[in-house]
Amino acid sequence: MTESPPDELTALAEAARARGEVDGGRAADPVNAPMVRHWLHAMGDANPRYLEAGEAPPAMLQVWTMRGLAPEPPGTGSAVDGLLEWFDANGHTGVVATDCAQTYHRYLRFGEELRSTTRFGSLSGPKRTAMGRGYFLTWHTRWYSGEEQVGEMMFRVLKFAPPESPPQRPPRPERHPLQPARSADTDFFWDGAARGELRIRRCTGCGALRHPPGPLCPRCRSTGADHVTASGAGTVYSHVVHHHPPVPGRTAPFVVAVVELPEGVRVTGNVVGADPGEVYVGMPVRLEFERVDDGLVLPQWRPGTGEPLPALHLPLTRTSITAQALATRDFQSVHHDPGAARAQGAADVFMNILTTQGLVQRYATDWAGPAARVRRIAIRLGAPNHAGDALLLTGTAERTGGAAEVAVRGANSLGAHVTGTVTVEEEG
Amino acid sequence: MRLSGAASIAGIGATEFSKESGRTELRLAAEAVLDALDDAGLAPSEVDGMVTFTQDASSETAVAREIGAGPLRFFGRVDYGGGAACATVGLAAMAVATGQADAVVAYRAFNERSGRRFGRAMPEAHRAPTSQGLEMSWHVPFGLVTPAAWVAMCARRYMAASGATSEDFGRVAVAARRHAATNPAAWFHGRPITLEEHQASRWITEPLRLLDCCQESDGGVALVVVSAERARSLRRPPAVIAAAAQGSAPGQQTMTSFYPDSGHPDGMAGLPSMGVVAEALWRQSGLAPRDVQTAVLYDHFTPFVLMQLEELGFCGRGEARHFAADGGLEIGGRLPVNTHGGQLGEAYIHGMNGIAEAVRQIRGTAANQLSSVHNVLVTAGTGVPTSGLVLSRD
Repeated sequence: MTESPPDELTALAEAARARGEVDGGRAADPVNAPMVRHWLHAMGDANPRYLEAGEAPPAMLQVWTMRGLAPEPPGTGSAVDGLLEWFDANGHTGVVATDCAQTYHRYLRFGEELRSTTRFGSLSGPKRTAMGRGYFLTWHTRWYSGEEQVGEMMFRVLKFAPPESPPQRPPRPERHPLQPARSADTDFFWDGAARGELRIRRCTGCGALRHPPGPLCPRCRSTGADHVTASGAGTVYSHVVHHHPPVPGRTAPFVVAVVELPEGVRVTGNVVGADPGEVYVGMPVRLEFERVDDGLVLPQWRPGTGEPLPALHLPLTRTSITAQALATRDFQSVHHDPGAARAQGAADVFMNILTTQGLVQRYATDWAGPAARVRRIAIRLGAPNHAGDALLLTGTAERTGGAAEVAVRGANSLGAHVTGTVTVEEEG
Repeated sequence: MRLSGAASIAGIGATEFSKESGRTELRLAAEAVLDALDDAGLAPSEVDGMVTFTQDASSETAVAREIGAGPLRFFGRVDYGGGAACATVGLAAMAVATGQADAVVAYRAFNERSGRRFGRAMPEAHRAPTSQGLEMSWHVPFGLVTPAAWVAMCARRYMAASGATSEDFGRVAVAARRHAATNPAAWFHGRPITLEEHQASRWITEPLRLLDCCQESDGGVALVVVSAERARSLRRPPAVIAAAAQGSAPGQQTMTSFYPDSGHPDGMAGLPSMGVVAEALWRQSGLAPRDVQTAVLYDHFTPFVLMQLEELGFCGRGEARHFAADGGLEIGGRLPVNTHGGQLGEAYIHGMNGIAEAVRQIRGTAANQLSSVHNVLVTAGTGVPTSGLVLSRD
């Protein structure tokens, strides 16, 4: 039976709804080149259009109205302040963001002065979650330049009651029980997988591609070899659904497939993200990567027909995470202070959401090019990105007319950090 | 020099087939070897050669020591799991034909049910960077770790290429269990199955069901090989080795030949290594599929029985499902296959019990004896580098 929220909370939600659009105040600074430059460097985003055209990267939208360390201006606030205060006062002190969708009506130019408003969206719960008992709270933010609305955001958080026992550091994933043997002839393959590349041996004598690789080319007997990186497209050539016996490191039923690549070789991997009964010989699949432990990344396959994007491998350090938090004006201690992060049960400092949003944008525009305009970024958040880990972004794009939907997945050693879609349009 | 007709199987022996022998593997091997020598009418001291599988836990010298054999002049092992079965006899025949030894025993004995079970996932088994460990490394990390799963991968492709269905695989199992039902030595003696029961059995690795998979068994089998001439003076009618061949296809992997360099147009929908064996068996023996009255086809998993029929030339490519229809593999059918019940019905002794059945059909002493048997074809484990025999009446 569904548990009802306390009357007090229901009343606060109704009051929040009744407030309608609440003034969040003006941005401290106009849209400006120094903050854009700092942000681009922190994200590693080499897209030249912003500084050349005097425009802000769209994923910076929220950055402009982050208050940072400044005190809240009098007479401003958020539509959900009352609810957040109630949660903190009633034991639901934990917070994690779960979803964020931003829509950009147009790109912002340097010098524009923004203000934002918030509006209550919905409250659901209490629900039992992996984090603890909690409520999902959704609100909507709008940004205005003068009277013109320039962007909006849906944001959802889980406010939860942390377990009474002191938080434990989440265990590092154990070593995958199904380790490959490696040799000097095959190291390049596994090294490539760790960087988000499916590498195919190429003979430097005759150019023949070969997988699985070996020390020689069986066609011309040359020992010279380099590799090409597979496009990421594939077709199921054969597959099995494993039920029995139990296999350590895998949960039955699971699908293993021999996948035929347009490059002319076949590789074996799991088909993920599909009901086992839906997989068929001839099914189009796309490459992604599964980080199964600190040292092993497996090339895997997901049903899909989109154009595969090159993977982006990003090592995560305290420096990168802190720099990104500051570039997004996010001074929450868990993003720069390892002690504070550990006190909350985290393994180390971890990436903030505005950075994930920025990296997802960067990944899509790296592929789409400087001429593309980002219209929308919608992400769902999963396992945190701790310092010391690495983030591997993969994706596929479906083009329709002058637009494309880029499906992005970001994985770290704990699993999926982010899944999302980026809508981009050609300049026109 | 020709091997065909130079040597014969003069003795067959076995332990009981069970799920828990209660004895060591070395003891099972020694018991099977003594039983085979007794069958042939040879004294243990007359044995001067021993051959077994690379996988066998009991060395040639250890078994020779237990049975009180004389000095050994020839010993050797054959690799690649059950693919070794017929090749142990082939190796023994070559030793006899070339004068290396006079009486060679081929044996295989294990507690494969009560000890180390092949049906269990053993990802640790292939972690060393040997060539085989490296082959496995393209599959093991993804959970493809059992023989059933490796075979299932080829079976799915075969289904797509030929139109064969799970019911077609089931007909192989129904035939085996029908034969086992009337074989007192079979574990499934008195327990036939229907196609409906096959279809209702649980998935192991799709497209393989439980009843597509051979048993796991404890037991041992031994075979005595001597020259064709000497065999005529021994206790039993000889089974002449008309052909003995091994085969490994270009681009072969141990059990995961999923990749396009096999030279086969669709290597995964066939068993190219058995094609290599087939060509050699027919050439050596001078026989053709129509000259064979019954076949013992290695049946660890049902789909590979159908694929072997095609590789061996009993039917065209993709036609095995029609060949097996309407009881085609049963006694009275187009080609009675595995009249002892096979490894699905009698026991899984890595193919060696099938060679013994072929000898019994030649002698006329099988539990399900066919009439007028002159030539029997026997195959070893498939999907791996494999082997085969043609045994003939003297």
